[in-house]
Amino acid sequence: MGAWARRAGVALFVLAMLLFVIGPLAWLSLRAFAQTWEYPRLLPREWTLHWWETVLEDAQLGGAIRLSFVFAPVTVLVSSVICLPAAYAFARHDFPGRRVMLLSLFATNAFPKMGLFITIAGLFYSLKIMGTFVGVVVVHVLGTLVVMTWIPAAAFAAVPRSLEEAARDAGAGPIRTFFSVTFPIAAPGILVAMIMAFLASFDEAQGTFLVGTPTYITMPTEMYTLVLNYPEQAAAVFSIMLSVPSVVLMLLVRKHVMGGRLAEGFQLR
Amino acid sequence: MTAVAQRVRTRNRTRLRGFLLALPPVLVIAFFIGLPVIAAIAYTFGYSGGINSVVAALAQKQHLVDGAAPTFDAYREVLGDSSFRTDLLVTVIVTIVTVVLVMVLSWAIALYARFSRGVLAKLVTALAVVPMFIPVVIASYAILTFYSTDGFTRTLFHLLGWEDSPALAYKMTGVTVGQVWTHLPFGVLLISSGLSSVPDTLIDAARDAGASMSRAVRAVMIPMAALPTIIVATFTGIGVLGSFTVPYLIGPNAPNMLGVSMAQYYQSFNQAQQAVVMAVVVFVLAAGIGYFYVRANAKSARGSGRL
Amino acid sequence: MSLRIEAVSKVLGGRTIVDSLDLEVETGQLASLLGPSGCGKTTTLRMIGGFLRPDAGQVLIDGQDVTAIAPERRPTAMVFQNYALWPHMTVFKNIAFGLKLRRMPRDEIRSRVEDVLRTVNLLHHIDSHPGQISGGEQQRVALARALVLEPKVLLLDEPLSNLDAKLRERVRDDIREIQQRVGITTVLVTHDQDEALSISDKVAVMTGGRIDQYDPPSTIYRAPRTRFVADFVGTMNLLRATVHDDHVATGDVKIPVRGAALGVEGEWDVGVRPEDVRVSPSEGAPAQVARVIPRGHYTELVLMLGEQRLRAFVGPGSGDDLPEGATAHIEISRALLYREGLLHQA
Repeated sequence: MGAWARRAGVALFVLAMLLFVIGPLAWLSLRAFAQTWEYPRLLPREWTLHWWETVLEDAQLGGAIRLSFVFAPVTVLVSSVICLPAAYAFARHDFPGRRVMLLSLFATNAFPKMGLFITIAGLFYSLKIMGTFVGVVVVHVLGTLVVMTWIPAAAFAAVPRSLEEAARDAGAGPIRTFFSVTFPIAAPGILVAMIMAFLASFDEAQGTFLVGTPTYITMPTEMYTLVLNYPEQAAAVFSIMLSVPSVVLMLLVRKHVMGGRLAEGFQLR
Repeated sequence: MTAVAQRVRTRNRTRLRGFLLALPPVLVIAFFIGLPVIAAIAYTFGYSGGINSVVAALAQKQHLVDGAAPTFDAYREVLGDSSFRTDLLVTVIVTIVTVVLVMVLSWAIALYARFSRGVLAKLVTALAVVPMFIPVVIASYAILTFYSTDGFTRTLFHLLGWEDSPALAYKMTGVTVGQVWTHLPFGVLLISSGLSSVPDTLIDAARDAGASMSRAVRAVMIPMAALPTIIVATFTGIGVLGSFTVPYLIGPNAPNMLGVSMAQYYQSFNQAQQAVVMAVVVFVLAAGIGYFYVRANAKSARGSGRL
Repeated sequence: MSLRIEAVSKVLGGRTIVDSLDLEVETGQLASLLGPSGCGKTTTLRMIGGFLRPDAGQVLIDGQDVTAIAPERRPTAMVFQNYALWPHMTVFKNIAFGLKLRRMPRDEIRSRVEDVLRTVNLLHHIDSHPGQISGGEQQRVALARALVLEPKVLLLDEPLSNLDAKLRERVRDDIREIQQRVGITTVLVTHDQDEALSISDKVAVMTGGRIDQYDPPSTIYRAPRTRFVADFVGTMNLLRATVHDDHVATGDVKIPVRGAALGVEGEWDVGVRPEDVRVSPSEGAPAQVARVIPRGHYTELVLMLGEQRLRAFVGPGSGDDLPEGATAHIEISRALLYREGLLHQA
């Protein structure tokens, strides 16, 4: 009796989770293929692929998609150059101010983005990067610094020193040691961070809108307009297209994310 | 040169190298975030010079300084505004409720996954992590349609015979649902990883000493997973406080969370200074939460919390 | 009879780990489960502690069947291999945890914890965290945490495996001394034969989920009942040889056996302890000295009898001065005969 009640409870919980998490996504996906769908019907009355044509043929939407795929890799690249050496330094060197510097990254999360973007405009104007490609990249990079430093730092710190010492012992110099031992072992953590950064750039809407319009309109920025001005079905189609790269990338690193690579990064040492 | 002096020199050199390597992200933040934030705070006190001049030239209804002394008029105006106070209250409530719900759900799922090796446990964990895969804009839009007047929940209740069930969309309940949805993966991942690092033998030892399973969890699991728990609470809290997309898409026009009010004041009303004042208020709240995170980390680094 | 296990079996992951095992430990005695990794010894211990439920059979403590009782309600206390001290609690809190669960008054908890810490000589670390004390001290805290509950049966899971060699001997003696002083029935699991032989009243040598032999240490050593035990415990020369009344023959070499006649003939596995090999300049079978290994108070010789290798432990003046490459002459003073893995009982 007790065991049955518990099993039923668990099953109910799983079902509720399924509805809570997947329900909205499934509901939205159905909409992308709906011709007519009136309340209170559980499924659309007529189906169509018409909305996919509409979206794919819309030049503006296509441009937004292309732009997103340009900004995301550029952001990851710039962020890697800035952050990965720092991550290594945080993991392997002890220097005065180390903790304070590590924590200062965290502070970037504390000030609301909207407030920041209002005054950042002044800075961007004086640097003449308002409304430019560089300006948008800067905004995107800002959103990736924390993950790109913390998670790789934890990954570097988790490489046993003895493995590096063994490489040095075998005659490898410090740079050779880094590239043939340290980096490959830390690679999964770095990959997780890079994909998180890629998605952060892919997801960034507010800053891009304030800094990039009207020249640079990315997919998520377009989404805001779409939600307000287009039929629901077009927004649904666009949503699916916007989710595909995220889902694919996350599936690639799913094992490492679940394996605690992400969690490690947030426990400062 | 003596061997000791040599060693001190090498050590100083590697320390310097570490410092220099770690500098770039910190400099980027200092320049692109630190500087604007300081300027923003100065702006709220009426200083419109420097990088604030562009914003100040366009904004309306500003309270600027006469001489050198700061003015608190902008704060007086915003804090005195009853709709702001409502928004602040709404923001704080949504934040607290979200943090509590995320904690409860994350702990429940993580505990279940920790002690059950079944397929269901794996499924629930995988489910809880799905939102991480989905861009927030999409998620918000999906949740909006799911809980709207012609959404799934109302359709389902209608089919079950409840004709006039409420729609959560455009209400703060809907916003809270959206916040929980988007913040759940982080909570589940961190707490699961915290729990999985507690060895089975520590639980066995507690049971051997006479503790029931639930007592063993309380006495051993909870304190040992304290750090990830605090990390989840602070990051979720800070994330919800400053959030924009979820309340913007799912929430009502007013009252809504401060992230939305800020955008409204800046973009619709062209009152940049008032918007920044709100940002500073949220920042102060977030800094208060951040303090716990820093303290918890420092404590666990100092104590013997790690095996 | 304090602890009794009857026909207990356990299958894990489709593999039979413990196979219809019987064991009895008398009150106040220390029994060791000794065997190679995977022999089922830890599984047996965990079934006694209640962490695993046997698929068949019974566990009885003081005649009472505890097979279905959860670990928290069983009168057993375990010292875990890696000590399993709770890192977030002080030494005091670690030990007091079980007493608090028993709703003991605070003063009594304090005095009991102090008493048990005095027993293990660690009173000065009462407020330390586990991370702040050495491995040997953590070991003793774990022991104290188990003892303070006054269990009927104390379970020790590889208690010395995480200590360095020097410390291991000392803690081993400490455990034995405390166990005897408290007079508690104890089951210890180990893969280290030295540890088992030197600490136990009885040793159960396990292989493949069964006990091959359960006897006092001296019997295990002098008369290993199976070929496996002979090979596993101590150093043993095992020769495939033809046995005659007064000698054994391997290849062309005939090794004389002194003392009592073997009483059988034919093909046997012959087990000879190195100390039962006598080396002399002229009497017995000739053998090449391949290596001379000084062991301190005795010398180990590795001898070659044709293709057969034989180890001998010799004392001062009885062959320890032979150089490598020399020819020694050997006799056997005692031999154990095995056929189909079982000892021939004369």
